[in-house]
Amino acid sequence: MFLETLTSLDPVASALVERARVRGAYVIWRAQERTCARVLVRSGRVEEIATSVSSGHGIHVVDEHGGVALASRDDFHLEPALTLLDRALEAAAHAHRLGVPPAFLSGLAAERGRLEPPGLDAYARFDPSAAGRRLAELEAEIAGRAPGLTTTLALSTDVDAWRVARSDGADVAWVMPRCVLRFSASSRGAERHTVGAAISGPAPDLLDDAAKIATFLARACAAARLAAALPDAPSHPAGSFPLVIDYALAKGLAHEAFGHASEADGFRSSVLAKDGRFRSGDVVGATHVSIVDEPVAGDHAWQPYSASGVRRDRATIVDRGRLADALTDPWSAPLSGARLTGADRAESFRVAPLPRMSNIRIELQGASAAPGAFEDYGPEEVRDLLAASGVLARHPEVVFLSGYSGGQVNPSTGDFVFNCKAIYTIGPRGIALHKPAIFSGSMFGALHAIREGFGPLLLDAIGTCGKWGQSVPSSGGSHYFLVLDPAPTVRLGGR
Amino acid sequence: MDLAALLRALAATSRDGCFVDAWSVAATEARRLTLGTKDARTGSPHAPLALSESLAARFKIVWSDGRISRGVLDRRQIEEDAPEALAEARVSSYEDPDARLVLGPAAFPEVEVFDPRTDEIAGGSVEPLGPRLAAIRARVAAHGFRTWSGSLQAARATARVVTSEGLDVETLGTSWSWHATFDGEIGTGLSRRAQDDEASFAARLDRAVPAAIALRTDAPKRPGGLVPVLFHPDVVEELFIAALLHNLDGAAVAHGTGAFRREQFEAGAPVLREDLTLRHDPLVPLAAGAYRFTQEGLPARRVTYVSAGRLVSPLLDTKYARRLGLSPTPAPSAIDTVFLEGPAPRPYETALAEAAGGALVLGVLGVHTQDFTSGDFSMSAPQTLALGDGGRLEGRVRSTISGNLFAILRSPGLRLATFPGEHTPGILASCRLDPS
Repeated sequence: MFLETLTSLDPVASALVERARVRGAYVIWRAQERTCARVLVRSGRVEEIATSVSSGHGIHVVDEHGGVALASRDDFHLEPALTLLDRALEAAAHAHRLGVPPAFLSGLAAERGRLEPPGLDAYARFDPSAAGRRLAELEAEIAGRAPGLTTTLALSTDVDAWRVARSDGADVAWVMPRCVLRFSASSRGAERHTVGAAISGPAPDLLDDAAKIATFLARACAAARLAAALPDAPSHPAGSFPLVIDYALAKGLAHEAFGHASEADGFRSSVLAKDGRFRSGDVVGATHVSIVDEPVAGDHAWQPYSASGVRRDRATIVDRGRLADALTDPWSAPLSGARLTGADRAESFRVAPLPRMSNIRIELQGASAAPGAFEDYGPEEVRDLLAASGVLARHPEVVFLSGYSGGQVNPSTGDFVFNCKAIYTIGPRGIALHKPAIFSGSMFGALHAIREGFGPLLLDAIGTCGKWGQSVPSSGGSHYFLVLDPAPTVRLGGR
Repeated sequence: MDLAALLRALAATSRDGCFVDAWSVAATEARRLTLGTKDARTGSPHAPLALSESLAARFKIVWSDGRISRGVLDRRQIEEDAPEALAEARVSSYEDPDARLVLGPAAFPEVEVFDPRTDEIAGGSVEPLGPRLAAIRARVAAHGFRTWSGSLQAARATARVVTSEGLDVETLGTSWSWHATFDGEIGTGLSRRAQDDEASFAARLDRAVPAAIALRTDAPKRPGGLVPVLFHPDVVEELFIAALLHNLDGAAVAHGTGAFRREQFEAGAPVLREDLTLRHDPLVPLAAGAYRFTQEGLPARRVTYVSAGRLVSPLLDTKYARRLGLSPTPAPSAIDTVFLEGPAPRPYETALAEAAGGALVLGVLGVHTQDFTSGDFSMSAPQTLALGDGGRLEGRVRSTISGNLFAILRSPGLRLATFPGEHTPGILASCRLDPS
């Protein structure tokens, strides 16, 4: 249904490939059609419903001398497309005069396929006005459970359809549906704090999914109560402490600390590479710790093919403490010494794809059980879990970081940061809430510090990853909770 | 820019027994050239020489039953599928009495926003980029930088706003931006409407070099605590000004999700120190944030948000202006038309000397993770230089910084500092800094 326009573009694809062939060039053609909607409800009323459509194509060429250029336009007409190809080839020729070195692709399997996940018909039935009314109902329910706050609910839907064809005959098309329900609460006193929560799904009918809505309400109410409590909470001192992080923060750790540094377009400066080559086999963490990135069906960051038309593989970045796979694309794989994992993604047809993460997770061998749902665990339940497993015998006081609110990394240095929504100290004096503080450190120190995990894998922590001016959906997780021993290179910011 | 098909469709569209009662369209047709460099490889497949052409239109429709539709159309919809797109927009309509205002003709200021040299590059002329790349590469070689990354970009864009109330205004502008980062650590750049000349380009690069070199050496270990911290203008913009603008946003004020309340504007409540002012001037010739009119068709004009430390006006589009009973204000589109002003700024060297024993914070990680509503911040500042006697740069001290933005902006000890080539001042204030 959502590939109709793109699959009707055979004449354009064929003509571009043929003209490139005649001119001795190789082309990767990317066509995209993206339809988004956003419904925003505040204080019981719909404040905005906005829709947007963007479509067009990008022509990524490699000329006979290895010159590379990209040209894009937001329609699919044949004549402008052919003119665009000529402009791209002209630009590729110009590139040589600017000292641009030639680039060459690795050999690729010429895959052909179409992939539309099930459930897309829910988008055809989607009624934004009805969604607005439903959001208002949910807002009222949250206000009933956690009153006295200013709240916002937003539902975003996004159907992102792509087609990629190459000179070697590859031709794949796929649709990535995404839907996110977000909540934020702001306290109303003189000092105001805002705390958010979200769930995601592949279709807007998540508003009618009782289990998903129950999870959403649990998360939203917890966020609302936190927003109310934070103004009176003290700051936590800076330093290195025994830490407990939840699965969303563990996603942040995997994403910021290791994921970005394993993206092969940055291997000339990444700390995970030497002389441009991935340090595969190097020990970077404890032997019970692995980091895996792969597209997960139905997930916020699912992408079955890369933006170069290569099937995306699972990448075991850290395999039981040792570097294994890098996130590579056809341009970077040959130079990096790592196998091709088809990791390139692009925000839109206008930009050059880059190796990016999809759903990234930290897995621990021998993680302990944590019964029930993640939302069942407040700081008291976490304390009980730690006490029962002996963690509190080893560390009489631990610092529990709860909720992820974004992060950043410098892959050149390995410095990473991410922030939490709240800090709880758990120890002999009881449990105390503190204001959030930055968690920073060096990636190697962090991975070696991971001691134990609790609970099953939970991979629904979502976010938006920014890199080189492009934003793409990201996701991931880990076991419900991870325990990190104190490490001098891993620090909590503070007051 | 041909919007004829879209405008015809607006006149003819009806759905569910309702017709289009009022509308506005803000369209932009642009052409852009970008050349990137990643890890010293200019024009690599990940940062290639890229050319793009685009046409998009943001629309608002007020239907005859008072409902509102909003959205963005792409070129295909504008030129070929406008009737279908507008009929579809009716499905997404909603009640919003405050959003019904559509602006009519007005007197628009003349502001210089076009540069023929930049226009030439945006059209595909890459030759002028050669000397810029050579200048960067020369400094990388001369100072032994391991690598560098950056980009050069030029664009031309025609912006047009048309409304059902008779407004039809159009302007042609250009934009030029570049940045270069040395060793993945620290860099410099510029965004303007016009290309900077080669001498200015070189001077800006040269100003960034000493800090990049100083970061190579670790400073002697020092304890954490409350120390004088000089925030670089980049950090001031990214953290302090961004937080203020976030909280000044009309939607945040109207809904109570920001730090400032409606009644505080009425009362002119003091929120910053009494000698600080925050204002916006979109009339600065060739500034990146210069423009003649907003996407709603509001003429550009100067706006003061905070004067003598007291709240004056939020940032207000027509909807939230009506909601709050105030006049709409043109919003900043780039940081170089936003001015944080106060007591006479110290010269850079004087500010360094006054911060002796403290640190110069050149860059921070994690700004987007902060809660701007509370103003509390806790961030990593890996690009921080320790300052010794007389403000001597002692080398890098990786740190975390923490505190409250509003408390700093109200503190009696706050001073402003001039950084050569920067329009935003640095801020010198007492701040918690914990070396890691």
